Amino acid sequence: MNTSRHIYTGTSGYSYGEWIDAGFYPPGTHSSGMLPLYAASFGATELNYTWYQMPRAPAIERMCARVPDEFRFAAKLTRTMTHDIDPGLWKNEVARYRQGIAPLVQSGKLMAVLIQLPPDFTRALANRNYLAALLDELSGLPLAVEFRHDSWATDRVFTELEQRKITLVSVDEPPLPRLFPALDIVTSPDLFYIRFHGRNTGGWHSGSMQKQFDYDYPDEALSEWITRIILPMTAMAEKGGIFFNNHVRGQAPKNALRLIAMMVKAGIIRR
Amino acid sequence: MLVETSVIHLNIADFAVAVERRVHPHLKTTPLIIAPKGSSRAVVYDMSEEAFQEGVRKGMMLKKALRICHSATVLPPMIIRYERAMKDLIKQTLVYSPLVESGPDDGHLFIDVTGTSRLFGPPVDVAWRLNRNMKKDAGLNPVWSVASSKLVAKVATRMAKPVGEYIVGAGEEEQFLSPLPLNLIPGFTPEDLTCLKAFNFSRVSQVHSLDMNQLAVVFDDRAPLIYERVRGIDRTPVLPAGNRQAIQADYELTEDTNDIVFLKKALHVLIEQTGRKLRQKNRMVTAIRLILSYSDGIQKASAMRLTLPSANDLDLFRQCLPLLFKTWTRRVRIRHMRLTCTRTIRQQIQMSLFASGDRQARQDRLIQSIDMIRERFGPLAVSTALALSA
Repeated sequence: MNTSRHIYTGTSGYSYGEWIDAGFYPPGTHSSGMLPLYAASFGATELNYTWYQMPRAPAIERMCARVPDEFRFAAKLTRTMTHDIDPGLWKNEVARYRQGIAPLVQSGKLMAVLIQLPPDFTRALANRNYLAALLDELSGLPLAVEFRHDSWATDRVFTELEQRKITLVSVDEPPLPRLFPALDIVTSPDLFYIRFHGRNTGGWHSGSMQKQFDYDYPDEALSEWITRIILPMTAMAEKGGIFFNNHVRGQAPKNALRLIAMMVKAGIIRR
Repeated sequence: MLVETSVIHLNIADFAVAVERRVHPHLKTTPLIIAPKGSSRAVVYDMSEEAFQEGVRKGMMLKKALRICHSATVLPPMIIRYERAMKDLIKQTLVYSPLVESGPDDGHLFIDVTGTSRLFGPPVDVAWRLNRNMKKDAGLNPVWSVASSKLVAKVATRMAKPVGEYIVGAGEEEQFLSPLPLNLIPGFTPEDLTCLKAFNFSRVSQVHSLDMNQLAVVFDDRAPLIYERVRGIDRTPVLPAGNRQAIQADYELTEDTNDIVFLKKALHVLIEQTGRKLRQKNRMVTAIRLILSYSDGIQKASAMRLTLPSANDLDLFRQCLPLLFKTWTRRVRIRHMRLTCTRTIRQQIQMSLFASGDRQARQDRLIQSIDMIRERFGPLAVSTALALSA
């Protein structure tokens, strides 16, 4: 079986004060010292802050200098292109974004640009047109698209992504209506991408991140993902990125480390 | 262990304009100037970005501003409206932290969210949510920043203005400030800047090359402050919400005046009002601020620390009278006065080691009696001669 050469496992963001209390970072760790410590445990991370703020090249450059050569970043696309779109300005925002992440591209540390679309972004005509234009504008960058609405779970969407060699993000979420389902579809031979959001059904629509992403994956759930989704995907893409977003109380790094151990045991990756 | 702080700064650009535009949505895109009408010497209190781009500035004579920006609409300042808007914003932010500090109705808010992540998530997410809620509920769109101190957060919003956000990561403060002009750093006096300019220093990075001893040669005891400021070190705490609810009183003069008799009367009325609130709360004032609003829209403020903490009206008036003369520096007539007790302490319960003089004791008894009469028959039941002098 032709399996993926690299599977990068990590978490969505790495700078959480509460991970000190959870024991992932040693007591007294300053925020500025978290990235090198994180990189000692994981090979990749998602940059969350680029969703809130347009990335700035000097800060990204300093970040690149603090991790090993083989470390990779997945950078979220800024909200001004996904959630708070100004029809007259978004193309300028794409240009600014490209400039901001240039150090990641130049250093070869960019795994993907993660385009996380909002839950109310349904497969309506206007949204389809916008997404097509956005993907055109971002062409040349490795892209991964995460849908939060199940109207996008159709073959026509997957085929279109496949033609463009754009990665469809597989997600683990609570079993709630209208959420995008967990799929093992690979649309790019370069990369498969999985995000574990947790299965906190009660907290998902609470409006509080601390409730929405408060979940601890049991081994059985991770094991099922390995056999049902991760294993088939590794045969279809050269690289893989797996990220845990259940950051509350340090559950994300705990579950990510556990998944790595299970994948090593299953022979999917080498330690 | 040093606790790592997270401070959010919200800055609503052109606050008075933003509030007025909420009330008058049709003025959303037209140049807008806030200035008192009907006064030949009126000056600009605030202006919209469009008017700013045309060259209008705060404090500029209204006549000149209108010559520069013919198409501008002029609205009078509605201070109470801005205060109310500010109170609403503070109320929204208090959900996330008790440590909320606001400027004087200028659309600036500092929120210390240190240690709140477990409850509300990362500070950056709190800042974004506050912005989103303010947009939705109040129609205001604050520039926001997240940093490790008030100083860095404030500079960051200045960089992002008029719209946007700026996150300065922990440990990134020095690099963030490094390329900036020195006049963007809060806390420098004009004298500091003149002195630095004389040495051909215009950027923060240039001052980084000086150590504390070198700075001390020129700046003497201000050297530590300058050394820390250019490195983004600022230990000034975000004051808790309680301090914001300062005891204060306002006096709107019936007619604009620069007559000392009327102004003294107004000051006495203000002191009677604040004094009564102090005594009701068992507190004494140690620092006080007076703001005079002139008929042309300009405000002047002065503050002083009292030599003796007090809650006695007569004593307070005697101590505060010099503050009136200190603040009253212009010949233009005065329209409004505000007295704020900026710092208070609990009234001493312990008896004084030495008995206070007869005069002081008599004054205290007099004030007590006045309070009792007002308590029973209403605040206007009895008045001092000075307050009646007009």
